[in-house]
Amino acid sequence: MGFLMALSSRLPYRVWGDLRGFVASLGGGVLLQAATVGQMGVLLSRIAARSTPARLDRRELVRHMEFMAIESLPIVGVTALFTGAIVIIQAAPVVQRFGAEGLLGWGAGFGVLREIGPLLTALMISGRVGANNTADLGTMVVTEQVDGLRALAIDPIAYLIVPRFFALIATLALMTIFSDVLALVGAALAGEVLVGLTMHGFYNGFTSGLIEFKDVAHGLIKSVAFGFIVALSSCHFGLATTGGAPGVGRSVKASVVASATGIFALDYFLSFVVP
Amino acid sequence: MMIAPLSKHPGEGDVIVRFDRIRKSFGDKTILDGVSFDVRKGEVFFVIGGSGVGKSVTIKHLVGLLRPDAGDVWFDGVEVSRLTEEEFFPVRKRVAMVFQYATLFDSMNCLENIALPLEKHRGLSRGAALVEAQRLLERVHLGRYGERFPGELGDGMKKRVAIARALTLNPEVILFDEPTTSLDPVSARRVDTLIRELSDTLGVTAIVVSHDLTSIFGIADRIVMLYRGGVRAVGDRAHFRETKDEVVRQFVGGFADGPMEFG
Repeated sequence: MGFLMALSSRLPYRVWGDLRGFVASLGGGVLLQAATVGQMGVLLSRIAARSTPARLDRRELVRHMEFMAIESLPIVGVTALFTGAIVIIQAAPVVQRFGAEGLLGWGAGFGVLREIGPLLTALMISGRVGANNTADLGTMVVTEQVDGLRALAIDPIAYLIVPRFFALIATLALMTIFSDVLALVGAALAGEVLVGLTMHGFYNGFTSGLIEFKDVAHGLIKSVAFGFIVALSSCHFGLATTGGAPGVGRSVKASVVASATGIFALDYFLSFVVP
Repeated sequence: MMIAPLSKHPGEGDVIVRFDRIRKSFGDKTILDGVSFDVRKGEVFFVIGGSGVGKSVTIKHLVGLLRPDAGDVWFDGVEVSRLTEEEFFPVRKRVAMVFQYATLFDSMNCLENIALPLEKHRGLSRGAALVEAQRLLERVHLGRYGERFPGELGDGMKKRVAIARALTLNPEVILFDEPTTSLDPVSARRVDTLIRELSDTLGVTAIVVSHDLTSIFGIADRIVMLYRGGVRAVGDRAHFRETKDEVVRQFVGGFADGPMEFG
């Protein structure tokens, strides 16, 4: 305290004012983030309380899964094919220099299954499905459709949120498997065209025993965790929308930023924790 | 849960809804500052007043969409303002609400919108709920529009679909939030007729938020006027026509000049 008083007496008034403003805005930002995390925790507890088989609206779950998965197939497929090919393009010069073409199948498989497949799919789903989910929920909030549900004695968390939450997690896991397969196909095709490695040679490298089931499980565990982040983030920011149509835009932006940040942070920790 | 005796006035019917000294603020802006009035069973009761005076805020307290800072809200002898969200569900099955912008679900067609509460609360199968939804749609004279989505309907039609949806659980009270706002005069009178019919044929109590003078003097049994956070006047149509209160006279006369303060 004494230090601060001494500092304030030595600094010019304007500089001291700027410093106080900076600290206040930093503190405000931290409090805002803490409040958001707390609100997400409350939403998660509400979702958990309504996630019993008896309360789960299966028809809504299936409807959302169909919608989310079908909507995502083209973009996930195209992204995966090119990603697999890019891995080979980047690796080809080095592999050819050392004559290690036989390792391409392993290298592409290891990278795609453990890291690239789940991560890129999560980012695609976050941008495509998560953003759409936030916009959908946000629009329902600002047009009083959520209040309309409450007025009909229908619990919005049970009816709107829980099916979307589980549908998004399941969709991301399924899309990751789809993406893994197509990325490997893309890698194998690129290997044949660019390096002259046959499909059979690629397959032999992939199944040489260097890739284990735990590598597949590693990627799938990540995809479920990423799905959890995208689902929670998109539902929270959708329900927290205020301020009409501009508010929906702000919510979508916040949801995508929070999802992407959460995905990368979680990826970092899971890469240590999951074998 | 507090229980209040129903007050009975000879020839005037039972009180089904009571707002008792309701106070409500948003931030530092006080909207309601001690609002009290009763609504009787089966009547068409209008809540009127200038824009921003708290008409919609008042009625939303009855279905728990807003909670009062102070005061009590009574429904059929039970104090409801302190019920939890889940405890409010039985009240909401007896008190339906038609919102200002209809709030139909965009992703469902009209029949599905109406069938939703039937499936959720009356345990009807999908097919049976759709049949019942069609019957309700015909009741509001929109039988041919079941397959249409809300975005394909005009405002008046949307409001009538919303009324059909509100009827699904056979409510005792229906809250109408500005049901004729933004409607052309013909659609507005159709909605008025529907509200009056519901009261006359089904005994439904209608609480209508409005500043549509034609509606007010066309179908209201009784009226309350809110002004500056409180109740300015309560009475029947004749009372409002003959009042000496200059503020009320300015409002019901639709005069630009007078003692009314806005904002």
